[in-house]
Amino acid sequence: MSEYEGIVKMLRFFVQTKNFSYVDRIGNALNPEPVEVTLHEALRAFRSIRESAFVEDNGRRYVEKDGKKIPVPGIPPEEEVKAFLDAVRSDIGVAKRVATLALAYPSKKESGGDE
Amino acid sequence: MFLSVGVRFEANVEALNMVETAGNYSKHRRVPYLVEEDGKLKTVYVPALSGESLAHAYQEHLVREALSLNLPVCDDCRRNEFYKSMNKVHLKKKVNPIPDDPKKIEVAIVQSCVIEDVGGFLYAEKPPVRRSSAFQVSYALPVKSVALFATSEPQLHARHAQMDSSSKKGNASEQMIYYVETGTALYGFTFNLDLNAIGVSAITSEPILNENEIKARREAALKALFRMLSSAQFGAKLSRFFPVGGITEVAVAVTEHPFVVTSPIYDDYIARTERRLKVLEGLGEKYLFTVATGEKVPEEALKEAMDYLKEQGAF
Repeated sequence: MSEYEGIVKMLRFFVQTKNFSYVDRIGNALNPEPVEVTLHEALRAFRSIRESAFVEDNGRRYVEKDGKKIPVPGIPPEEEVKAFLDAVRSDIGVAKRVATLALAYPSKKESGGDE
Repeated sequence: MFLSVGVRFEANVEALNMVETAGNYSKHRRVPYLVEEDGKLKTVYVPALSGESLAHAYQEHLVREALSLNLPVCDDCRRNEFYKSMNKVHLKKKVNPIPDDPKKIEVAIVQSCVIEDVGGFLYAEKPPVRRSSAFQVSYALPVKSVALFATSEPQLHARHAQMDSSSKKGNASEQMIYYVETGTALYGFTFNLDLNAIGVSAITSEPILNENEIKARREAALKALFRMLSSAQFGAKLSRFFPVGGITEVAVAVTEHPFVVTSPIYDDYIARTERRLKVLEGLGEKYLFTVATGEKVPEEALKEAMDYLKEQGAF
């Protein structure tokens, strides 16, 4: 699943900000259409959040929620999004696996910014 | 007596049910919808209004109608804040000390508030007490046959602020643009009202109130529905996005026992409802079915149903 790391990190960011809507809709989708629509909405919202996030001196971006600093990851690259949507078209189970990973703890500490 | 209403309304460029905002973009509620195209089923995302939104509007009208009939409405509901005696803090305003018996808690709430009587409540403490709503409302969804023509479209707006150089911070602009996603569709929704549940305990099924009070509350419940549909005062953002259009069709069924009109999202819902009622009639069920399409206006159909209910002694 490392090929969809950017999408997983983006969804995990929403989970950390207590917005489970996108990860739930992608994880529970029964056909590809809801995944496509949800990913479009998630990317739209994510771009807005990212652009208005605080930028630290080292260039890392973060938002504050309940007094905690939540790093904002990079926007998933176009190739990754395309590959993910193609994979979902042939196997909807990919969407569930990506959503499940987004709900799990990351294997290493993630930092925000333009990674 | 049970009232079921199917409503079709045309709404162009409406923002009746907005959900989250992403930056300067506020989104309309959308739901996945199954439609048939060339013999194949496909999922499309269409603008929708939640039942919660419609229920809130109905209860706001119920507050007004209840007060105009001098019926009790609790302080929270008067402010259109429908906490529904959800915890001790809110229940104590109605009964203090709070009884241990769920039946007594229900009686105290129903006696002191028409909205919680008709709209139900959930007291989530020990002991928990739950009362189902006497009215039910569906989501408003685009009519199936034209669902593919439904759209949601962001509209650009600008907000201005007058700023001199001292109040200007960073690169803040004097003009902020924002987008409001508007929906356009022919919507259909269903509204049901179980008149027999008003003023009656959900625990014991025994009347909590006297007959006159129950009848007055039924009248308020019916008038609130009439007012909500007639005034089109439901949904959000009416101040600048009042939907262009209006109610195109209404089908009202009044039965002795629960019966729900066929959903108005189907084109043949009136004929199907009529056929279903005919079957029930064969089983001894008395009913009234009236529709407002074409010449008859929705208010006439609703009035007819109310007159019938009055004749039947419902209020």
